[in-house]
Amino acid sequence: MDNPNLQASLKVNIESIKSCTNGSDDLIVREFRIGSGRAERDIAILYFDGLTDERSINQFIMEPLMQYGHLQGDRSDSKENHLLDRLKNSVLTVGQIREVDRFEWASDSLMNGSIVVMLDGYLTGLSISMAGWEQRAVSEPTNQTVIRGPKEAFTENITVNTALIRRIIKDPRLTLKNRKIGKVTKTNVSIMYIAGIADEEALKEVNKRLEAIDTDSILESGYIEEFIQEESYTIFPTVQNTERPDSVAASLLEGRIAILIDGTPHVLLVPALFVQFFQAAEDYYQRADISTLIRVLRYFGLFIATLVPSLYIAITTYQQEMLPTQLLISLAAQREGVPFPAFIEALIMEATYEILREAGVRMPRAVGQAVSIVGTLVIGQAAVEAGIISASMIIVVSITAISSYVIPEFDMSIAVRILRFIFMGLAAAFGMFGVFVGMSLLLLHLSNLRSFGVPYMAPVGPINIGDQKDVILRVPHNSMNTRPSMFSKLNPIRQRRARNKGK
Amino acid sequence: MMIRKLVSLLLAISLVLPLAGCWDRRELNELAISVAMGIDKSGSQYQVTVQVVQPGEVAMQKGGSEGMTPVTLYKAEGTTIFEAIRKMTTVSSRKIYAAHLRIIVIGEELAREGIGDALDILSRDYELRSDSFLLIAKGTTAAHTLGILTPLEKIPANKIYESIQTSEKVWAPVISVTLDKFINDIESKGKNPVISGIKVSGSNEKGGSLGNMKTTQPAVSIQNNGLAVFRKDRLIGWLNQEDSKGYNYILNNIVSTVGHVDCPHGGQVALEVIHSEAQIKSSFQNGRPRLAVELRTEQNVGEVKCQIDLTDMQVIRELEQQAEQVLQGILEHLLEVSQKKYKSDFIGFGNALHRSNPGEWRSLKTDWDEIFEDAETDVTVKVKIKRTGTVTNSFMEERE
Repeated sequence: MDNPNLQASLKVNIESIKSCTNGSDDLIVREFRIGSGRAERDIAILYFDGLTDERSINQFIMEPLMQYGHLQGDRSDSKENHLLDRLKNSVLTVGQIREVDRFEWASDSLMNGSIVVMLDGYLTGLSISMAGWEQRAVSEPTNQTVIRGPKEAFTENITVNTALIRRIIKDPRLTLKNRKIGKVTKTNVSIMYIAGIADEEALKEVNKRLEAIDTDSILESGYIEEFIQEESYTIFPTVQNTERPDSVAASLLEGRIAILIDGTPHVLLVPALFVQFFQAAEDYYQRADISTLIRVLRYFGLFIATLVPSLYIAITTYQQEMLPTQLLISLAAQREGVPFPAFIEALIMEATYEILREAGVRMPRAVGQAVSIVGTLVIGQAAVEAGIISASMIIVVSITAISSYVIPEFDMSIAVRILRFIFMGLAAAFGMFGVFVGMSLLLLHLSNLRSFGVPYMAPVGPINIGDQKDVILRVPHNSMNTRPSMFSKLNPIRQRRARNKGK
Repeated sequence: MMIRKLVSLLLAISLVLPLAGCWDRRELNELAISVAMGIDKSGSQYQVTVQVVQPGEVAMQKGGSEGMTPVTLYKAEGTTIFEAIRKMTTVSSRKIYAAHLRIIVIGEELAREGIGDALDILSRDYELRSDSFLLIAKGTTAAHTLGILTPLEKIPANKIYESIQTSEKVWAPVISVTLDKFINDIESKGKNPVISGIKVSGSNEKGGSLGNMKTTQPAVSIQNNGLAVFRKDRLIGWLNQEDSKGYNYILNNIVSTVGHVDCPHGGQVALEVIHSEAQIKSSFQNGRPRLAVELRTEQNVGEVKCQIDLTDMQVIRELEQQAEQVLQGILEHLLEVSQKKYKSDFIGFGNALHRSNPGEWRSLKTDWDEIFEDAETDVTVKVKIKRTGTVTNSFMEERE
């Protein structure tokens, strides 16, 4: 296109926009005339089929234009834009309306589900937001379910998602900043934070990292996550994602920053610390004492999921003296006739389990039952009875598999799964010594990580006594007087000392 | 560049695995888990017997027992015990794994000749635990003792181990002596060691077959029996049940036990000791060591076999005096056995003297055993009867 600006000739303009979209057949162009006599004009409305709400176009654009358009406007009007202004100000009964004078903008707004109105003889057109396409309704979360608590989850539509958050936090300080990322997909990405609570430095850092993304497509939050996460390599997630508006609201109130991406129900939260991957939304909705107990259980689950197979391998192949005699004898009895070393045995079972798990996620729903039946046979009795695997190994693998799902955040349980194999290798080669060296290295690595400037292990390392209220403990709400200090020092007071004790 | 460096570093690290790893890796089914070791004399050589568990027979699984014995014995002879143990691989398919050794049994014959040399490997080898129980096979060989199968506990070594543990808590004459405790005693100049004895009772042929376990009254059984007294590392004699009891009283090994006293007019009263505290007080008087034992016990009336009025404080006081006399007798007899019969300070008066008079001890310690023989002794016993059970007087008494 030679000239980026709209021309006076309607025909030229339409042709230009058509060529701009390579003559795609779903671009609808409706041409008609408005006005009468000397004021008669050619007018065209353009939109993409399926991206717009056809009924609203008929009702709020076509109808007013055809019925009232001829009453107003006069070619002799001194002001060139007069007719267009009239249309904009008193004819079109729509909310979001904007003038465009460049083809690029016009085609952009078409892509986003707007319609473009162009009038012959004018150098500007109108872009009217009338997006309306088929979309999924707000439904229950599929991954982060709760027994007690709100049961709505984000959808693929970013405006619905921001509305879900705004409905929870009704405060003018809740701020939303939009940007488009992806040269081809032009995906809407929004940053949400509460001004005055979120840390300015972290905010700058988030903006800087988003700014630096230079790619042609953002299809899911995972793309953004990988672009903005810390540079040093780690298997641990340093960006959290959630599909629960209430979790996002809670994080915003703690001074964190949410990144919403159009087209995915997963919202990113930064900074994300180790302990946060063990906090579930429900912890705050049920009694504090049971939440604390369950937190302890989760960390115990973490221990089991990471270390139990490796400890089993280490103890049964190197440090048999650590077992009580009776246990040693019964384990030895189970291993009689098992042809593989314990490490290979564990690898076989872990691999079998991982295959089953992956198959369970990927397979078509219809064959699910067949897979689970075969799976239970393989992982269960048959392997033991055939004498290939010892019964105790089945127990170890099963408890490990279940324990990894006690961790509320999926990203963390993936990290734990990877760790498990590393530790198994260390245990097979070096016994308990290997396991402990591995643990020391793991601890060093974790202490070395940061998420958007915040130490990953905070508030445990560096320790902060005041912030322990929400790590392993979940103290009652009337004692949570301050916000966690690791994210932001602004506005630390959540509530004054509780007087509202139901007296 | 960075990535290439990282990859080559990872490759180098992965090379460590086959290099350094796995050298002492043993799968569970490559182990011959030995739970008891017996050491005997065989000419100028040691005969070592090892009781190895057959896991499949002990931990019953579906379709399990094929009628094999739960344990099997491996024997080998060698000039040193280490050689003998290694030699066992000529008969055993698996290497003997000794970390779970529960008991070490020493034949009486070897014990009389001295066991110091034999115990060296047991304290030196890293695989062995020093908390396994040391026992003397009274009047027989260790090999014979370990060959007896026992009911209730499938593994005979476990039976012996558990029965000592249970017994020492509720029955005064029994005490467990672990390997490290024995070595400690040998090392100290002021105490000679003792070791519990076990005895095989019953006819000898059937003890090693499953048949022994298939009757309600096994023909052969293993029994804890008295304490073996040592001078240095040599067995010099046995304490009978009463003396063993006295030994445990003095060394404060009593958790609970039962004894009896005679009633004034015939019959007996059984008294349960619920608390016992003894102190050894050695001192010097006129250049001669004076060894004092003070014992304080609390007891309950456990069983009444005579006609007395337990509601009367006077009667209780008489019972207390009776009990004091009985205990006094036991302790004095033990001291006499120790001083006159065995001439061995296995009670540890020397150590007590070392603590109270370190200066004098230095000149005495070289020939302590001779001085000990003539030392003056003094025993005081204090008994308190606390409770009489859920009834006061015997119902037979109430009837009169």
